[in-house]
Amino acid sequence: MIAFGSSISGAEAYQRYAEPGIARAAEPESKVLAFAAVEPIGRSYNLLLDAAAAHDDLEALVLVHPHSEIVDPALCAKVREAFRDPSVGMIGCAGARDVHSIAWWEGDVICGSVRQRYEEYHGGEFDAYRWTQRRPPPAEVDALDGQLLVLSPWVVRNVRFDETLLLGHGFDLDYSLQVRQTGRTLRVADLAVLHHRSLELISDLEVWVEAHIKVAEKWGAVLSEPPEGESDWKRRARRAEARREAARAIAMSESLKLDARVLELERTFEQMTTSASWRATAPLRLINRLRRERAARRELAQPPVTADA
Amino acid sequence: MIAFASSVTKPDVYRQCAEPGILRAREPDSVVRPLESIGSIFRSYNALLDEFSGREDLEALVLVHQDAEIVDADFCSVARRTLADPEVGLVGCVGAIGVRSIAWWEASVTCASFINRYDEHGGGDLPSFSWAWNDAPAYARLGEVETLDGFVLVLSPWVVRNIRFDEDLGAFHGYDLDLCLQVRAAGRKVMTAEFRAIHHRQLDMVPDPEEWSEAHIALADKWDGRMGIGIGAGSWKDRALRAEADAEAALVLAYMNALESDARVHELERAVAETAESISWRITAPLRWLQRTTPRRSRPELTPRSLAKSLNTAETL
Repeated sequence: MIAFGSSISGAEAYQRYAEPGIARAAEPESKVLAFAAVEPIGRSYNLLLDAAAAHDDLEALVLVHPHSEIVDPALCAKVREAFRDPSVGMIGCAGARDVHSIAWWEGDVICGSVRQRYEEYHGGEFDAYRWTQRRPPPAEVDALDGQLLVLSPWVVRNVRFDETLLLGHGFDLDYSLQVRQTGRTLRVADLAVLHHRSLELISDLEVWVEAHIKVAEKWGAVLSEPPEGESDWKRRARRAEARREAARAIAMSESLKLDARVLELERTFEQMTTSASWRATAPLRLINRLRRERAARRELAQPPVTADA
Repeated sequence: MIAFASSVTKPDVYRQCAEPGILRAREPDSVVRPLESIGSIFRSYNALLDEFSGREDLEALVLVHQDAEIVDADFCSVARRTLADPEVGLVGCVGAIGVRSIAWWEASVTCASFINRYDEHGGGDLPSFSWAWNDAPAYARLGEVETLDGFVLVLSPWVVRNIRFDEDLGAFHGYDLDLCLQVRAAGRKVMTAEFRAIHHRQLDMVPDPEEWSEAHIALADKWDGRMGIGIGAGSWKDRALRAEADAEAALVLAYMNALESDARVHELERAVAETAESISWRITAPLRWLQRTTPRRSRPELTPRSLAKSLNTAETL
């Protein structure tokens, strides 16, 4: 039996996104574990692990973020296929190799059919992690994206999320590293998922920075070669501070470039819509709009067509 | 005599940007010296310093980047007035205090009287906060600073004769901060003054991040806590871990900005396409064609350059 679990911090998001996705992917005998979220996220997920572990027939536990919608009706078959290899401990829809921090996407990203849908600017959709080069699955990775994690029964029963990571960010990297420490592998499978999320990927960057430091302190030697003494730390600090300020300057430059791109389009649009010909034909567009609205109203007012009719 | 000098790697850029500004600002007896670059900016500028250090009538040497354009016709009188204080060694129009690295813009910027003029995406101007003093924020002020942006630097004769750019630091980045530190270490003041410039440059602040990072490290190692350069809170380990986290947070911010911009672009492209495909736009196409082909009464086009010119004119009126 493949179980689905979700820690629900926003009931509406779960109803709109995660729930329909689970319904699409679940099999008749699947169990759905939908629990109210408790802080920190590790505690929430451990509750789901405890509940799933109680099922003797458990084949896998799919942890679904409330804003993630599974759009892959074949998910269960793909999960079973991936877990045919007993060394596989966890599967995901995205992940990376050569990971050195909670910013796993700075590594070598492997990602299947994962899209991001946003509501801002009249809405839209594009490939997730579009800022980086994505390589297709299947592939073994160092860390998985926590938006969708599929755990083997062994992992469900033997590896716990770290509840001391109070800031939330980086729980997925931490759990990935724990699973790998047990000798199990992580794989990205081609699971089709739609992330319904804001364009603001991380709303609390200061908290994220603290979480980054906390995870780096916990996993120091695993994530990067540890400096041997004070002078090595000084070298690393100097390099990191240079890189930080370069990154900030690059971020600022990118922002300016993007603003310039938007400004160029705004100019074009303004030129079009302030032209004499556009203004002269405004009454035509008004009449057209009224006509469309009237037609829509008429359509709504008509009684529904029944089978008898 | 106030001399103007540039290190030129791209003569066409010098002709388009620096030269018009120098011609606007120079006095009849000014010497103008565009030097074909002889290597790094450190070396080229030292060659210019050597050349002018023997001039007894030198009142100031103005080092102008080839892509920097001085805007003010009364530039020389401003420079002369500021250098009247014999303690003043350097003068610029962009400066900051609390500086800890070559990323001076990460410090507390007190004066930024310049426009970044770019060509990308149809071009545009980004005026900095004290370009127009009427609209400047409360923290904008003229006076003593720790460092200046080197795109326009006014050097006192004492500096020309006694200080040299440190050619061991690299090819380009950090020459201005290091010069300011040397001048201040020698007991002279570094000042911002009331003149303005246009920096004709691309929007990339750091087009060569590797080289820039190396310069950042070289300067931090050279000054190693002196004059505030390279200092920070916590142990080296604390600083390393925090800076690594901050760097990745900055990248996340860049990704978020890119996503938001892409979303805005998609929205605008949809709107432009809908407009262009509408019946009213298509049936009025002949009118627009006629308008394009009919000679019109010429009207001054509003471009960044004409805007800067009109600002100049308004000030001189």
